[in-house]
Amino acid sequence: MSLARSPRATTARTARRAPADLPFVFADRGLAQALAAERDEPAWLRDERLAAFTAFESLAVETNQLYTPYIDLRAADLFTARPYVRTAIASATSADASPVPAGTSGLIELDEDGVTSIGLSEVARARGVTLETFGAALARDPAAFRLELEGGALLPSTDKLAMLTRAFWSQGVRLLIPDGVSLDEPFVLRWAAGAPDRALLTRTFVRLGRGARVALVEDLGPSRRPTAATDGQSMFAGTLEIDLGPDAELRVASIQDFGASQVVLQHRQAAIGAGANLHWALAQLGGRLVRSRVDNRLEGDRSSVEQVEIVFGAEEQLFDLTSYTRHVGRDTTGNLLSKGVLLDAARTYMKGMITIDKTAVGTDSFLGEFGMNLSKKTRSVAIPSLEIDQPDCRRAAHSSSVGPIDETQLFYLESRGIPPDEARKFIVLGFLEPVVARMPLEDERERLRGLLEAKWNAGLEGAAAA
Amino acid sequence: MTATREIVTDRREEFAFHDDIVYLAETKRGLSRQTVEEISAFKKEPDWMLQFRLRAYEHFVQRPMPTWTDGLDRIDFDKIVYYRKPSDREEKSWDDVPDQIKATFERLGIPEAERKFLAGVGAQYDSEVVYHSVKEELTKIGVVFMGTDQALIEYPDIVKKYIGTIVPPEDNKFAALNSAVWSGGSFVYVPKGVEVPLPLQAYFRINGENTGQFERTLIVVEEGAKVHYIEGCTAPIYATDSLHAAVVEVVALPGSKVRYTTIQNWSNDVYNLVTKRAHAYANSTVEWIDANTGSRKTVKYPSIYLRGENATADIISVAVAGKGQHQDTGAKAIHLAPNTKSRIVSKSVSKDGGRATYRGQLKVSPGATNVVASVRCDALMLDDISRSDTYPYIDIQEDDTTMTHEATVGKISAEQVFYLMSRGLTENEAQNLIVQGFLEVFTKELPMEYAIEFNRLVKLEMEGSLG
Repeated sequence: MSLARSPRATTARTARRAPADLPFVFADRGLAQALAAERDEPAWLRDERLAAFTAFESLAVETNQLYTPYIDLRAADLFTARPYVRTAIASATSADASPVPAGTSGLIELDEDGVTSIGLSEVARARGVTLETFGAALARDPAAFRLELEGGALLPSTDKLAMLTRAFWSQGVRLLIPDGVSLDEPFVLRWAAGAPDRALLTRTFVRLGRGARVALVEDLGPSRRPTAATDGQSMFAGTLEIDLGPDAELRVASIQDFGASQVVLQHRQAAIGAGANLHWALAQLGGRLVRSRVDNRLEGDRSSVEQVEIVFGAEEQLFDLTSYTRHVGRDTTGNLLSKGVLLDAARTYMKGMITIDKTAVGTDSFLGEFGMNLSKKTRSVAIPSLEIDQPDCRRAAHSSSVGPIDETQLFYLESRGIPPDEARKFIVLGFLEPVVARMPLEDERERLRGLLEAKWNAGLEGAAAA
Repeated sequence: MTATREIVTDRREEFAFHDDIVYLAETKRGLSRQTVEEISAFKKEPDWMLQFRLRAYEHFVQRPMPTWTDGLDRIDFDKIVYYRKPSDREEKSWDDVPDQIKATFERLGIPEAERKFLAGVGAQYDSEVVYHSVKEELTKIGVVFMGTDQALIEYPDIVKKYIGTIVPPEDNKFAALNSAVWSGGSFVYVPKGVEVPLPLQAYFRINGENTGQFERTLIVVEEGAKVHYIEGCTAPIYATDSLHAAVVEVVALPGSKVRYTTIQNWSNDVYNLVTKRAHAYANSTVEWIDANTGSRKTVKYPSIYLRGENATADIISVAVAGKGQHQDTGAKAIHLAPNTKSRIVSKSVSKDGGRATYRGQLKVSPGATNVVASVRCDALMLDDISRSDTYPYIDIQEDDTTMTHEATVGKISAEQVFYLMSRGLTENEAQNLIVQGFLEVFTKELPMEYAIEFNRLVKLEMEGSLG
């Protein structure tokens, strides 16, 4: 028996929900068609949206049976959320350049669906880098854009929520780095979201040509756009679709610090070509509910990925983080490290899967998941898994631990005259430092340190008040 | 490389048995409410047991087939004979056992083993305990060791108090199946403060094509008591699939110590789907020592629920998956009380296209403070047509838990083989020695005779693979 759920009715919101029930109702065929029509999209793109919608409809929220007991979307309440259809600024390219901050190769800043700033450094422009919205790409470079997007090859086709974003995105960013272009200064991609009762669905496509080498900083934070005073939650669904050519190298650093009412759905997938290297440094701090998935596909021989992720959770935040690393080529390397610190009643589900295909001779793969539960109400779940069809590997291992603050470390610091609260802070922030140290911009490093410290201090105050 | 290897034939056939027994009573193939009623009536069971079976049957019918592990849909429940009685009454002495059955046991070496260190034997031949002896001294100190069917008659209060409390029929589809049609299995009761001096030992066997085996073992160890129970299995090889769905329930009351050792070597056509669970009360220790080398598919995760303060769980799980086999095994430690400890060690070997899967759970529930837990999983793959999976679930809901987990997967190191060969071993012997060393964490926990038998088994498996 199923109860008809009215999207606006309060009964729908208070009704008892199963953990895997979707927390929104806006996704339907009509919306996919409206997005295509409103934006004058070509037929292939409309069909692309409809194909994704069909997949979305047929899939379960979690198709991997290993993880079905560990999904919980009940913290999200987006039944009144409306997606953006006609985007405020659809077409913007770095040709309409605004100046970029010193020390960066390019910047695109978006607030909700609108572009507030976009530009490239002189050097980046001279080397033929492209930075633009999907709207601009469609107008300027439709054939190449179609090849990149059609079929959704850089999104997990069995992931319902990835198919949601593929069907209903309203804003997109495209960054293309030509062959051989090497830039030390990072590109900055800044998304602001958080308008109550709005759902912002976005895609980001990044391609590096042969031997290209760049860094990308992704800032995800609260919207500065003035909003009506309601307490509705907000949805941000974003992809990062990465195509790394042979011998390319990409460093991605991300700080997610959305507001407390944000529901965050992230899908990041990289196809890593021969000899190419990908580095992730991901920090998860904000949001009410974060469901993130990273797919590393080590397709080329000698390709490698290093992924370092930290979570700092407090209050009732839930971080549901999955990473899939698939070794396909020969002599590939995967090195993945996740660390979580939990305060109050925060929860993490850390799910990591390493798959070594029969073709992947000489693999070196390691996955580590480490947690620090600092309150009795926290919960940390770690599911580090291995599926191995090729034993001829340099290493295939995972390791995991959960423990309180190490008393001997605490004792040592206190014996040096550091007060207990300070000492605890040092130990916790030190535990998370490996990701901080990988931020490619000094400003970003300092900002992340500041955010972590502020969150720690707020947690202490909360504990003192309780 | 291959040319230097010794050509050794697979000798496992010699260790498989099938005797033509005249079955005195059996149910029709397939399972219905009527089958369950027939089994219960045949055993002249009390009504509460019939109701227990029927409740389980209803659940079995409604419960969908698990899909998180593959191949279970190949089981044809309609082809299975759910109850078969090989002889009319429970035998009290070895002399009374029918000759044909005795001959089979002779080949398995039971009488010898008994002479050496058996405290008691409950040998299961198809669906009923036919032979069963408890040494006089055990009876004197009040230890009960008999078939569960017999226990239902002689000790109905203890059986009724505990059966289905550790593994309820609703726990999973195969626990429901077992609860509906169970027959045989061991019942062990150790009174307060009694230490059983020698391991209690039972051989379990399946005989007869498509005979289901649904034994139900219940072990109750009172306060401060101590017992070691050992089971080992062999079975005849048949072309069609047999089903073995057992339930083992262990109650370790405060201060007790229980060790349960299994060497599972079903023939490679058996589906072995077992629910094994223990409740460990305050200051008790429960140990599962579990090895799986046989069967076509084994699904088994010996579990310990640490319910009382200072309880300890120790699980060693070993699996060898050869051609056509899938060992989906592991362990679970569920911490429900403060100051509890658990250790899980898993070792698996996959070869000749076999698949070894470790699946386990470590859970620390709210209120279980000051827990120390560790999980270690190592897998060895002997060739690149085999597969190894590791799926550990770690769920920590307390802030002062100390938990560590490590897992590695690899192949036999060429350097080690080369070193041993330089010392005069053949490649086959070298690999065999390395595999035995890899599994030693398990072997060293066995009584000596078993350790020898287990190493022989591993050697046989290795030779089979290299022939």
